[in-house]
Amino acid sequence: MQSPDRTRGARPVKVSPTLTSYLQIGPLLLVLLLFFGIPLLVVIAYSFFQFDGLDSVPAFDFVNYIDVLTSGVTLSLYLKTLYYAVVVWAITLLIGFTVAYFLAFHVQSLIWQMALFLLCTVPFWTSNIIRMISWIPFLGRNGIFNNALIGAGITQQPLEFLLFSDFAVIIAYVHLFTLFMIVPIFNAMARIDKALIEAARDGGASGWRIIWDIVVPLSKTGIALGSIFVVTLVMGDFFVVKVMSGSQSASIAMAMSNQIAMVQYPPAAASAVILLIVVSLMVAAILRVVDVRKEIAG
Amino acid sequence: MKKGKAKTAGQRARTQTSTGRRRFLKTAALTAGAAATTGLIDGFPLVWSQNIKDVKLMQVGGSYSAIKDIADQATKDLGFKVEMQTADHSALLNRLVTQPQTIDIADIEYFFQLHLIKRGTLQPMEEKKIKLWDKVVPIFTKGTYPDGRKVSDQGVLPYKVQYVSGPGAKEFAKGPTKWITGIPTVYNADTLGIRPDLVKRKVESWSELLNPEWKGKTSIVSVPGIGIMDAAMAIEARGDIKYGDKGNMTKAEIDKTIDILKAAKKAGQFRAMWATFDESVNLMASGETIVQSMWSPAVTAVRSRGIPCYYAPLKEGYRAWGSCIAPMAHLKGIQLDAAYEYINWYMSGWQAGFIAKQGYYSSVPEAAKKFMTEDEYGYWYEGKPAKGEIKDPYGNVMEKPGAVRDGGAFWDRMGKVACWNTLMDENQYMVKKWNEFLAS
Amino acid sequence: MQKLQTGKRPLSFYALSVFFGLFVLFLYGPMSAIYILSFQGPTGGLTFPMRGWSLHWFDALFSQQRTGDFAGAFTRSMILAVMALLLTVAISVVAGLAFRRRFVGAAFVFYLAVASLIMPGLLVGLGVGLTFQTLGVQTKWFASALGAQLTWTLPFGMLIMFAVLSRFDRAYEEAARDLGATNWQIFLWVVLPILFPGMIAVALFGFTLSYDEFPRTLLTSGAANTLPMEIWGMTTNVTSPALYALGTVTTLVSFIAIALALGSIAIIQWRRSRPVGNVSLAKEQE
Repeated sequence: MQSPDRTRGARPVKVSPTLTSYLQIGPLLLVLLLFFGIPLLVVIAYSFFQFDGLDSVPAFDFVNYIDVLTSGVTLSLYLKTLYYAVVVWAITLLIGFTVAYFLAFHVQSLIWQMALFLLCTVPFWTSNIIRMISWIPFLGRNGIFNNALIGAGITQQPLEFLLFSDFAVIIAYVHLFTLFMIVPIFNAMARIDKALIEAARDGGASGWRIIWDIVVPLSKTGIALGSIFVVTLVMGDFFVVKVMSGSQSASIAMAMSNQIAMVQYPPAAASAVILLIVVSLMVAAILRVVDVRKEIAG
Repeated sequence: MKKGKAKTAGQRARTQTSTGRRRFLKTAALTAGAAATTGLIDGFPLVWSQNIKDVKLMQVGGSYSAIKDIADQATKDLGFKVEMQTADHSALLNRLVTQPQTIDIADIEYFFQLHLIKRGTLQPMEEKKIKLWDKVVPIFTKGTYPDGRKVSDQGVLPYKVQYVSGPGAKEFAKGPTKWITGIPTVYNADTLGIRPDLVKRKVESWSELLNPEWKGKTSIVSVPGIGIMDAAMAIEARGDIKYGDKGNMTKAEIDKTIDILKAAKKAGQFRAMWATFDESVNLMASGETIVQSMWSPAVTAVRSRGIPCYYAPLKEGYRAWGSCIAPMAHLKGIQLDAAYEYINWYMSGWQAGFIAKQGYYSSVPEAAKKFMTEDEYGYWYEGKPAKGEIKDPYGNVMEKPGAVRDGGAFWDRMGKVACWNTLMDENQYMVKKWNEFLAS
Repeated sequence: MQKLQTGKRPLSFYALSVFFGLFVLFLYGPMSAIYILSFQGPTGGLTFPMRGWSLHWFDALFSQQRTGDFAGAFTRSMILAVMALLLTVAISVVAGLAFRRRFVGAAFVFYLAVASLIMPGLLVGLGVGLTFQTLGVQTKWFASALGAQLTWTLPFGMLIMFAVLSRFDRAYEEAARDLGATNWQIFLWVVLPILFPGMIAVALFGFTLSYDEFPRTLLTSGAANTLPMEIWGMTTNVTSPALYALGTVTTLVSFIAIALALGSIAIIQWRRSRPVGNVSLAKEQE
């Protein structure tokens, strides 16, 4: 498909398309192999080690896997984490799609798009940890929000469920991760030809029909990618759930972090490998609906 | 970091020029003088005190003990560079295990020794090189109080991990030897912090943590190994379980404890659990919790914001903890000498005085005296009412005249230790059950 | 806001504007606690009530910190974030282009990147730390930590490029090629400008994800803390509203930088458009 170089004064060296591909993918592959591939092998090796209560002992043993797979706590951890993932996915998708749609189709100037985009990004430049700490004075018993509610006469008693609860965890996730939905959806929408929508509108299609029949199908790559981002972020999080639930709820990664805190590497490694497999299956399911690689391959 | 390097390079250059020679002798003499006060490098060849300036020691620990001011003062007094890096418990232990080379002086909780001695991460110190060892509080050196009573050995009593038979030993010695695993740096006795304006009655027992009267307004530590000890203190006080050793529970004891915790959680007893010092302060200060396990300086921090809070001395006693410093295994030669010199400086009082003004105790209380006013020492160590204002190391007023430290004098607090922060034999099982509690 | 070509705005525009406004309010609402509390009096803490008003904590931010090394950690985090930004943009843009053609092993690289995204950060950090230990190489924030962060920023970058490149119209390239442009010229003058808005998104992600990265950096940054680690370390002691002051200053500086950047772009555009007349003002940017 790549036509030969027929330019004047171009370098005589001709690079075959396949070689170009490998040169282009090379840096990514190198970084991933060095800093993810090899460490992953180390983690897999550790998952077969034995743990003697203090130290990891090299071995080839399935005991850690058996332990994870037969333990009742594993199921409840997965159910809890999946619950967060699904709820957060639904909310961020709704918000993310709407915001991206607004930015892509109603804000026409690139400068305004960038400005509004950055407006959504700025909070992320204040450290996550500081922002987490600030939820206590915001949602707390005597926090800004409760005081506002009481001040407005909406409630008499401060609402306790606002903080250190599933509600708090989910609202923090939505706060942190909606951007990850907006960015890919917006980028996909930006590729949609506006003439197409004009044509549909001229043809008498309603706003909803345009969204459902044109915008959604044409931005499905972005929706799929955003979903992958949000789902993997929630499934791998331990920090938000710890702080926002006041350590009263758990996720799989948080259970792992409790093990790592006591250098219990083999059991932590085994549950990491299992988590990797489970989330990979979830991502594969998303990719089955939308094959993002096919969308760009010529 | 760069600045320090540039300086030492400059110093090296100076010592090489002939004019710099005299200046070098002067600084060397100064160093020798400083060292003489700690009485260490007597007999060391002069050339060592020359090179020792190029030494840099990196101490890594919790931010309650790896304090920059201490490093700066040590650098000033000793003539070589001491740096501090803060890390939380979990990160510190993992770094010690996976990247020991990035640390020179480990600043750890005593129970870390169980992980570290076995792995050979640290190197034991020769007792004869530690000048003030015989002045160290006997809790650590002998496992007893000055009056000869035995200290509770539930959990990891520092004395149990204080000695080894020699370098390279992987087991702890049964009694005192000539080889020390760590020098106590900061330690304290913990109990419950109370908001008297909201609790409105006396609190005298750990069982109050589980008292439905405070439903939704209590909190314990979320670090599994420590949180379960808070819970055990409360459960035993309430009379549910009589533990053999709260610091080393059996599987059955762990099961029962977690069941009680789950039931309490389900009933909404806990408002939250706290992971860091800061969280514990914020929970109390904002009124989210009113009865909560806490560190003594955290109580002070709440109070210094003008919010009433006190540290309840409880009839069951205190949950104690202790930190220590030790040189890492990779230190040798002049860097190891510098480490010894630093450790001797550490014990000589400046650190003790500094730390005491934040409410912590240190290895040699009498050395602290030199760096505190009589009133300060009286307040922090002797349980006497403050005559003037009590200020923290940075000059902020913490207490008004007439205030008395909660729990009273040093031995009234450290003398009533019920258990120590711990690492259980069944810790893998315990973490698993703890995760189950969280997921419930 | 500039006028739409159609002239009259549809009702949905206003509804969506309100929605967007609410979203921004939701983003900044909790941050308001940070902004207000950073003006605490000298004896104030991290929670309400306010104990007087002062600039004390801004002053404290720029003077000596009690524990740790704020300035050093901040510098390291900024350098790290900028390195991550540059590498992420460069590597993921070319990688994205590679995926436009079929080649053996494409699926492997793709799923490796996806797995890298999925793997819990703590384990990546632990794995990198253990690998360096096994190899006897010391971990350093600008080497091992950067590498560990890239295993996180690159999959994001790569996947966003998928969104950017999806249904990318090859007609532009073909046209350029027919006009005799070299591959390099096509890339520089045709592909790059079209990809540019997407690259900004990748850059923003690279920077933001690195600047705030915690679990992967924790065990890979060697003997130096990055800002999130320093802040987390500080919370094991009495933290002061200086932390909040840091948040307020960061936000303020970001806004000023963004306003300046966008302002200058706007001025340039305006100057360019002047001779042509008002029509181009409303002209849409591709």
